[in-house]
Amino acid sequence: MSTFISGGCKNGKSFFAQRIAKAGGTPLYYIATMIPRDGEDEERIRRHRNERAGWGFETLECGRDILACLSRADPRGAFLLDSVTALLSNEMFDASGVHPRAAQKIACELAEFVRRAPNTVLVSDFIYSDAAIYDPLTEAYRAGLAHIDRRLARCCDNVLEVVSGQIIVHKGGVPL
Amino acid sequence: MILIIGGRYQGKLDFARERFALSDGDILVCDEGSGVLDFDKRCLAYLDRYALGRVRAGEEPVNALKANMERLSDAVLITTDISCGVVPVDPVVRAWRDACGRMNNCLARQADEVWRLFCGIPQRLK
Repeated sequence: MSTFISGGCKNGKSFFAQRIAKAGGTPLYYIATMIPRDGEDEERIRRHRNERAGWGFETLECGRDILACLSRADPRGAFLLDSVTALLSNEMFDASGVHPRAAQKIACELAEFVRRAPNTVLVSDFIYSDAAIYDPLTEAYRAGLAHIDRRLARCCDNVLEVVSGQIIVHKGGVPL
Repeated sequence: MILIIGGRYQGKLDFARERFALSDGDILVCDEGSGVLDFDKRCLAYLDRYALGRVRAGEEPVNALKANMERLSDAVLITTDISCGVVPVDPVVRAWRDACGRMNNCLARQADEVWRLFCGIPQRLK
């Protein structure tokens, strides 16, 4: 059963995502999407690793071209992809420049990922309700992430919003 | 009156078109330059952008809506929820955010139905 989770930052999305993924059976995979760029990123990754310690996750490093990690895993297992937001920033902005079609590519690949590995939990970030007036590039990033979110909301069995550690069910239910 | 709210890019207008059978000619797509609203349109979309233009002009956006409430009784109104970020540093953006809050609350009180869109999925709040 596939689950898409979004909400504001530090509201408890990752915690629920880990619980839901773990309830999905074994083998249990954590898809690490962050490509560290500096010491701060490395520190964040170290903290997340500690938080996951003892949960039984096998870590798959995959910061781009997400379907590639399925060749290193059993697609019948349970997958946690945290986060769609990092995946888009990796593919939209890299050393060779800006890639405006990255969101369309990722939306198609993630839909295919969920089709092949139906026991997947995906986490995104709700970055659509602030009053900032952004530059065109940031605005394109927000539009791109929303495009992926809406595609995932269509193809996943469950769509959940996490607010202050509470779950709002927008589609399906809470598979716990 | 129908009010549809939600974050940016959440599918508010797509939902409105489908649910309320709106065609392009029924919809006024507001921008910052929309000084005067066309109350004969069935749907006024992106009132938040209309509000930004009015705030820049030193006006209170909700006033024109309040003055035309009867003409809005069958309208579909779409507005973006911009209320969840940090308090903006720019005073105009700050005033815009507050004005949108007042406008949305006023419209939600008057509306027969209030919908919120989340990742393309509608939820009826009222």
